[in-house]
Amino acid sequence: MRKITQFTAAAALGAALLGGCVGNNHASGSVVVPPPPIVNALAVTVDAGPAAAAGQINHAYVTVKVCAAGSQTQCASIDHVLLDTGSSGLRLVRSVLTAAGLTLAGTTDAQGQALEECVAFGGGETWGPVALADVTLAGEHASHLPVQIMDDTAAGPPPPAGCGANGTLINGVGGFGANGLLGVGLFAQDCGPGCVGAAAPLPVYFGCAANGTCVAENVALTAQVTNPVTLFAADNNGVIVDLPPPVNANGDTSVAGQVLFGIGTQTDNALPPTGLTVLGTDANGYFTATYNGAATSLPAEIDSGTESIQLDDPTIAHCTAAAYLGYYCPAVAPLAVSATNMGTGANNGVNTVNFAIADPNTFVAGAAALPSLAGVGGSTQFVWGMPFFYGRKVYVGIEQHSAGSFTGPFNAY
Amino acid sequence: MNDRAPRHFAPWILAFGWLAACPAHAALGGDAASVAADARGLGGAVSVTPMQTYELREIICADGLRVREFLDRAGSVFAVAWSGPVLPDLRQLLGSDYGAYRRAIAALDRPGLKRELRVVLPDAVVELGGHLRAYAGRAYRPAAIPAGITVADLH
Repeated sequence: MRKITQFTAAAALGAALLGGCVGNNHASGSVVVPPPPIVNALAVTVDAGPAAAAGQINHAYVTVKVCAAGSQTQCASIDHVLLDTGSSGLRLVRSVLTAAGLTLAGTTDAQGQALEECVAFGGGETWGPVALADVTLAGEHASHLPVQIMDDTAAGPPPPAGCGANGTLINGVGGFGANGLLGVGLFAQDCGPGCVGAAAPLPVYFGCAANGTCVAENVALTAQVTNPVTLFAADNNGVIVDLPPPVNANGDTSVAGQVLFGIGTQTDNALPPTGLTVLGTDANGYFTATYNGAATSLPAEIDSGTESIQLDDPTIAHCTAAAYLGYYCPAVAPLAVSATNMGTGANNGVNTVNFAIADPNTFVAGAAALPSLAGVGGSTQFVWGMPFFYGRKVYVGIEQHSAGSFTGPFNAY
Repeated sequence: MNDRAPRHFAPWILAFGWLAACPAHAALGGDAASVAADARGLGGAVSVTPMQTYELREIICADGLRVREFLDRAGSVFAVAWSGPVLPDLRQLLGSDYGAYRRAIAALDRPGLKRELRVVLPDAVVELGGHLRAYAGRAYRPAAIPAGITVADLH
């Protein structure tokens, strides 16, 4: 699948619609054929992951076509890129790009120094340069998109001392369980205004001198790693992740679904007239959730990048098997629990979600899609990870964009 | 969210100069001397609130990071809590527990992108979560929590 040209899909579609008239859709004549709708559905697969890191669970992957900015020929299709509604922006592992024969030009700051980025995820950080790419997702295009190259080969300057201190660097395919990360979350940029005008620049973006010394600095929004959806010509107000329920409660080898670009912009992404729970989030992307009738609610998010539902329940036993450290193993499983979501601001939907926590030791060996996996979370946040997505259409409305009568940032289902 | 201000004592401001980027903090298990040294080095906005059985020291940094240190009557830090747009440097905050934290993270089969994590160490519990723009978490030594307060108070 390397180096496919972007014309393939469009040509096939044109052929189907025009009964074999391959080529120019606008042939001279009096009949005006409306342009075909943009293909806005990208296949999503939950499987065991890239060969270099097989054994992943609840990872939703897409294939991303990446070209050097401005190029029609310097392109590669990168498979097993993790679909992440909990972050914004595309990140790609450098060694994967190199193996695909693709080099993306790095960007520079106002002083002409290389622009690099450190982003903390639970358990580790990514580090590497910001580069420009032309990215194609289904029929949608984002040109000159700032992306992060996860520098697993240490081709660039080493990370500053604080980057990687909070866990470990997770730049590589093995640590990441993916060839990259496609962040299609609530925000237009990954850091946003906080990295533009801070009196003391956040340790996120760094200008790196030729001698490898990197200093934190502010960066304009347009130079930050950007949610590719916001650069699409249309269908740019959000996404809908649409995964079917796994067939087996103890896990399936794979699950196939799709991510739709745009909300209420085409027939396939229309907002339902009733029945949708819309959860507005605060400026940081959180609504609130109350777990099992607890006295206090917690900031909550819907995050396809987290493989389990992360919650804090001291009454449930923790798993002891090495493969399931960090997960709950209820003594009597499946354990029925619930959490009530509440939106903030104008989109103040309320909805109680009943769900089950399984004992991971009962999962089918080799299964990659596990619908009832709960992880040991802290007391500061509630995370609806991948199990929440199975059997639901999950909407992500991007900040400052409207979808029907709703304005982002919001989640809905 | 869970940051109701204590009502019975108003915070008093120790130092209020320019806001610094918070290069160092007192570590879990640190003593009063290390706290004082860090406070001097910090030069940021530090407020101290004496409570019935402990002292709450709050540092607000120019980058929006807020760190709260809980000191017992002997001046030892038994808990730290944080919130802000970036993760604080856990090497500083966890002190002598940092090594155990790193080993525990490495032992997780799939550390990956977990945006919420609770790690139980031999002497401490570390909870962290969040994403770019908004991280929050805390770390505490259960055996060192003074009588009369609970884990729920440590935020």
